Amino acid sequence: MQSQGLEELSFGTVSALDVLGTELEFFVAGDGAPLLFLHGLDGLEGAAPLQRELAKHFTVYAPSHPGFGASAGSPRLNRVDDLGYFYLDMLDQLGLDRPVIVGTSFGGWVAAEMLTKEPGRAAQLVLVSPLGLPTADRREQYVADIFMLSRQELGKRMQVGEPALGSDMKTLATLPEDRLRRLMRNDEAASHFGWSPYMSNHKLGDRTHRIASPTLVVWGEGDGIVSAKYRDDWRTALPRAEVETFADAGHRVHADQPARLAARIAAFAGR
Amino acid sequence: MKIWQFSEQAYHPAFQKPGAMRVTLPQRECDPVVAGQLLNRYLDEYMIADDVGLNIMVNEHHAAATCMSTSCMTTLAVLARQTSKARLLALGIPLANRSNPLRVAEEIAMVDCLSGGRLEVGLVKGAAYELFMSNRQPTGFMDRFWEAHDLILAALSNTGDNFSWEGEHFHYRTASLWPRPIQQPHPPIWMTASSATSAREYGKRGYTCATFLSGAVARSVFSGYRAAYFAEHGVQPGQDKLAYLALVSCAGDRATAFARAEKMKSYFTTAARLDPQFRNPLGFNPVDANIRMLQAGANAMRPRLRNGEALPVDGTIEQYMEAGLFFVGTPDEVYEQLVTFHDETGGFGNLLMMAQAGELEHQETADNLTLMGREVAPRLAELATRTVEVRYEAVG
Repeated sequence: MQSQGLEELSFGTVSALDVLGTELEFFVAGDGAPLLFLHGLDGLEGAAPLQRELAKHFTVYAPSHPGFGASAGSPRLNRVDDLGYFYLDMLDQLGLDRPVIVGTSFGGWVAAEMLTKEPGRAAQLVLVSPLGLPTADRREQYVADIFMLSRQELGKRMQVGEPALGSDMKTLATLPEDRLRRLMRNDEAASHFGWSPYMSNHKLGDRTHRIASPTLVVWGEGDGIVSAKYRDDWRTALPRAEVETFADAGHRVHADQPARLAARIAAFAGR
Repeated sequence: MKIWQFSEQAYHPAFQKPGAMRVTLPQRECDPVVAGQLLNRYLDEYMIADDVGLNIMVNEHHAAATCMSTSCMTTLAVLARQTSKARLLALGIPLANRSNPLRVAEEIAMVDCLSGGRLEVGLVKGAAYELFMSNRQPTGFMDRFWEAHDLILAALSNTGDNFSWEGEHFHYRTASLWPRPIQQPHPPIWMTASSATSAREYGKRGYTCATFLSGAVARSVFSGYRAAYFAEHGVQPGQDKLAYLALVSCAGDRATAFARAEKMKSYFTTAARLDPQFRNPLGFNPVDANIRMLQAGANAMRPRLRNGEALPVDGTIEQYMEAGLFFVGTPDEVYEQLVTFHDETGGFGNLLMMAQAGELEHQETADNLTLMGREVAPRLAELATRTVEVRYEAVG
């Protein structure tokens, strides 16, 4: 496991967790009620500030998804649908009965897939800038195609604040090899799960009515990745969910407003 | 050494437009009447190649002004009927762009029949940036490549009952080629390599191994191939198993040859015109390869000049010659240059020759082909009988 040197996660413990033969990089921090955090395209490290805040209220359990970070990938796990089952198995293995489940962006899609399969498995469900619903209708795109953007352009558009580490080719090439490897693996895994159909499961919207856990959906007002139409589609898919839009935040709400987002999640979970 | 004429069949009028020549160039920039005239012209030049005793290679690309052949087999279907002697090489069929390998086998079989068994088939990955057009899954590509390869070869060589195929990636109730190919068990298979590592795999399998515009790197590609071939088969491979692709400008006098070379050079400058985010779609290259590329820098993969510096994209004709990508001069000079390069790389039996490239016009191309076919090819044919001293150095 090559997760040493993630100094931004020094407030918790990174270890290896074997789930049905797939070795995950698994982060645990804080104490309190259990919370499963499912990261987005920016990986486990990309959401470190949010996890630091959440760890003040919860015991945070956060895997790197298969193929991301230092987690092993598997050609057999190639749909987010597969990840839904995979993480339900992981919760059983950990004995986590009804944790709070929080997912950002790609991780929001993963969380939604889990809950369509076991509708009450989350004490509360929080989807932050979720992907997963159809991202386009023929020639009309509702979600920017990250695979068609330059690294620099994508890096800029992901949040309203400063781009994440390695968002331009110059700094990217100077990163230590272990950091570079994580970023390259995150990119590869994004392609593995999200190339086509682009970042979506076309059946997800037919299944979201099953989700029984209280649900909060959070968007960033300045999201440069998803459009207003796409947010409406999520409202239709989850008619009972609370929806909140954060000012001064982009797609990575967790990077732009980590403290406010953590406080909102804690309040929603009654902590 | 055998010579194969190759043209990318460019829509060169678009070269004057600013910006990318691939992926994003709008199709409204294409005048289809002009495109048709150019395609017919390039076919005429392939027929001249046949007339003067040269062989033929075609390729394909997608969404590119630099190459209008969007299907090797469509181009070769025409040439199968309109030529009589030339071997016909598709190099190659990009399996990254093909969702249906059985269809690939059908087209191979049909063109082999049409041509009377003159087809040779390159199975290649395909250009990374063309995944944006095919939309095939970038990750796990090599697994699908080899499964498609296994299925294509099984279908081409099948002389028993029809079979079904339930693989990891491809599923067919019945595989049945009507017609089946003349050449048995299958037409010769070619693959392309830019490193000794990939060449070794092909050496093991005994396929013909081509390297494109790689200059001095060709030596290590060929060396890796030979070592792996010998380890697997217990004998040295014939030189006919190795191929090198380069541009050739041959004319009656040196000044004309260089003037033509200048017109061909836009092949190099336009090939590089592609927006950077399309060069390397996420998930196509292995993680380790991406790390090595980033750490080595943008110039690491460029061919080298003799002083070790990277060949600039807009380099001079002399620099392109020095790097082994361009052979320019009178028939005697081109012959001497090719013999030198042949010996420096340890020997290869096939020259994949771009006698048309960039904006080189028809009459110039016809002259180039005729001189190469009549004056250079007969002398190069004797190269195969020469002994080249091959030193087996360790290669990466």
